[in-house]
Amino acid sequence: MTVIGDILHLLTTADLWQAALAASVLLLLPALGGVISERSGVVNIAMEGMMLTGAFFGVVADLAWHNVWLATLVAIVAGGAMALIHAVVSIRFRADQIVSGIAINIFAAGMTVFLVRRIYGVQDIGHVGPSELLPNLSIPILDQIPFVGQVLFQQNVVVYIALFLLVLVQVVLFRTRIGLRIRAVGEHPHAADTAGINVYWIRYGAVITSGLLSGLAGAFLAIGISNTFVPNMTDGRGYIALAAMIFGKWTPLGAFLACLIFGLGEAIYANNSTIHVSQYLLSMLPYILVLVVLTGVIGRSNPPAADGIPYVPGAE
Amino acid sequence: MATSSVSAAGPRTPRIPEPLRRLTRGLAVPVGSVLFAFVVGGLIVAGTGGDPVVAYQGLVCGGLGILCSGGENSALQISNTIIFVTPLLMAGVAVALPFRAGLFNIGAEGQYLAGAVACTAIGVKFSTLPAPILLPMVLLGGMAAGAFWAGIAGVLKATTGAHEVVTTIMLNYVAQWLVRYLIIGGPLELPGGFSVSSPIGPGAQLATILPNDNHRILFGLPSSVYRIHVGLFIALAAVAVFAFLLWRTPLGYEIRAVGQSQRAARYAGVSVRRTIIVTMLIAGAFAGLAGAVQIAGVDHNLTDIYFSDTTGFDAIAVALLGLGSGVGIVLASILFGALHAGGSVMQADAGISSSLVLVLQALILFSIGANFLSAIKVRLPAIGRSRSTPPAAIAAAATATEATGAPPEKDTS
Repeated sequence: MTVIGDILHLLTTADLWQAALAASVLLLLPALGGVISERSGVVNIAMEGMMLTGAFFGVVADLAWHNVWLATLVAIVAGGAMALIHAVVSIRFRADQIVSGIAINIFAAGMTVFLVRRIYGVQDIGHVGPSELLPNLSIPILDQIPFVGQVLFQQNVVVYIALFLLVLVQVVLFRTRIGLRIRAVGEHPHAADTAGINVYWIRYGAVITSGLLSGLAGAFLAIGISNTFVPNMTDGRGYIALAAMIFGKWTPLGAFLACLIFGLGEAIYANNSTIHVSQYLLSMLPYILVLVVLTGVIGRSNPPAADGIPYVPGAE
Repeated sequence: MATSSVSAAGPRTPRIPEPLRRLTRGLAVPVGSVLFAFVVGGLIVAGTGGDPVVAYQGLVCGGLGILCSGGENSALQISNTIIFVTPLLMAGVAVALPFRAGLFNIGAEGQYLAGAVACTAIGVKFSTLPAPILLPMVLLGGMAAGAFWAGIAGVLKATTGAHEVVTTIMLNYVAQWLVRYLIIGGPLELPGGFSVSSPIGPGAQLATILPNDNHRILFGLPSSVYRIHVGLFIALAAVAVFAFLLWRTPLGYEIRAVGQSQRAARYAGVSVRRTIIVTMLIAGAFAGLAGAVQIAGVDHNLTDIYFSDTTGFDAIAVALLGLGSGVGIVLASILFGALHAGGSVMQADAGISSSLVLVLQALILFSIGANFLSAIKVRLPAIGRSRSTPPAAIAAAATATEATGAPPEKDTS
């Protein structure tokens, strides 16, 4: 029972929640991207590859120019570029979106390692200096609030950006005209087309946005949390984000809740020395949770109706 | 993509016999995709300051044992390629069979690992049993484990409609973490070892084809260095079983019927749910067999190389490039087996990272994916479509493709 007591004690510490929020934001960004892409009707299992690409180019740019903001921008654009490939292949050429997504992930894994060797030779890629990492930012006055101050207002700059984006995506998707259009295109593209909405433009925009968000997550991982690039350093986080998206029933807030659960699990493990369960068993939990959700025990989780179907004008 | 569409338009010239025309059209997409990948891959190498000719020479040397510049032994290179080809054949079948039923089994990797784990667990636990008993046990155990792993996705698909792509992705990761748990501090860990399991008993090991003899010299090297094993014949038999099952049995008919149209299959009296579950079980058994054969034939224990294994993902490329046919799977397995075996030689001889192989593989997938539906006329279900309604848009697109005889999507949008 000491384990449970220990966890309960941990849950009352601000340190834990601070770490949990940071861990969940890393998943939240690609999950938001997934929500936007799939709401527009394009299946996206490629967040993993887009994140990895962002992480790599973020480090490369940071090492070259010693400017973390420029590097972050490069990471975001790199993620977006990978998304553009996915968009062209699956929207323009109507390739199977799952095949294209797998190809993106393999391409990113191969290309990053290939380029490390081409650019830096066989030696290590090198480390980014501490002053060239995405900084932690304390919000004056607010960070003095007991508990809440440490959890919410003593965070990495990306955490604030991600939380802002969470609210933004939720509002845009469900409260604005453009959000309505995105959802219309994902539910019934023919009706949307008839109503004068350009299905292709909406889908291109949504897929590219998912890449920009995943690229930012890659930057956060490589030049925020870590300070270098390691092959395959995303280690399945893009897929956990996919899981969070499904868990959250294709809504931004739902996805965030799922990310928080996963992030909390990660933080509890990292901060607890009395749990003697293998970390590898715990790493399975997000995936098993999604399988449980998909059994329908905890209510159905249904994707947009036209998710995964290439749009062919007049083909209905 | 441009390459393949150009060659697809080729056979329109008159007076070519119909079977030949069909063959050319069938080959146009896969061959075009491979050419496209190699051209773009070569441009990537050249664009980053490398020499594509030297790189591809290393790749061909390592894969096929010809054009070698670094004094490599041809027979050893070919043997290494066959080692890669063997599991790809079985895993390729594990992806190709569900394709025919309209199911996308991304989970061959997880099923492969499940088979490897079961084979190791049984082979270690009963290590003293003689081969006639233990060998069938580990192989059947691997098949059962793979079938179970895929069966979870099959049952979820058939009962709740949960998309198999999502469930099999999740199951892949569960399997990957399971392997790590088992051999790092877990029950299969070799006492005193790290990231490695105890070895399976001698009775659980598949025999090598060439004599395992350090003193007999074959093709210039001791014959024990060639690790090709009888698992190759098991793999080829698996492909034959797949082709027979699909085209010569009632179950194969049902699988194809469900893949063409679930509604029509239901009218014809086929139980769609049962077919989905059975298809996934069989597919998982093939992938599990691949994992078991890899342990029993090559590695003899679980090691950390299984953490980064990609056989099940390569199998997706094999099934797509092989257009879901037995012969195609064999040819595609040889291609990807040769690429993987060749990658390390390319890295050693030409100084080009073996990761270029992954880039080539991705390029092949992009290229074939863009032509995939029109190429084999199998409709893949879209995520989230309930199992009773075939995706109308894809169906219509496929019909349009059949009607005009050429991919219509090239000049629209």
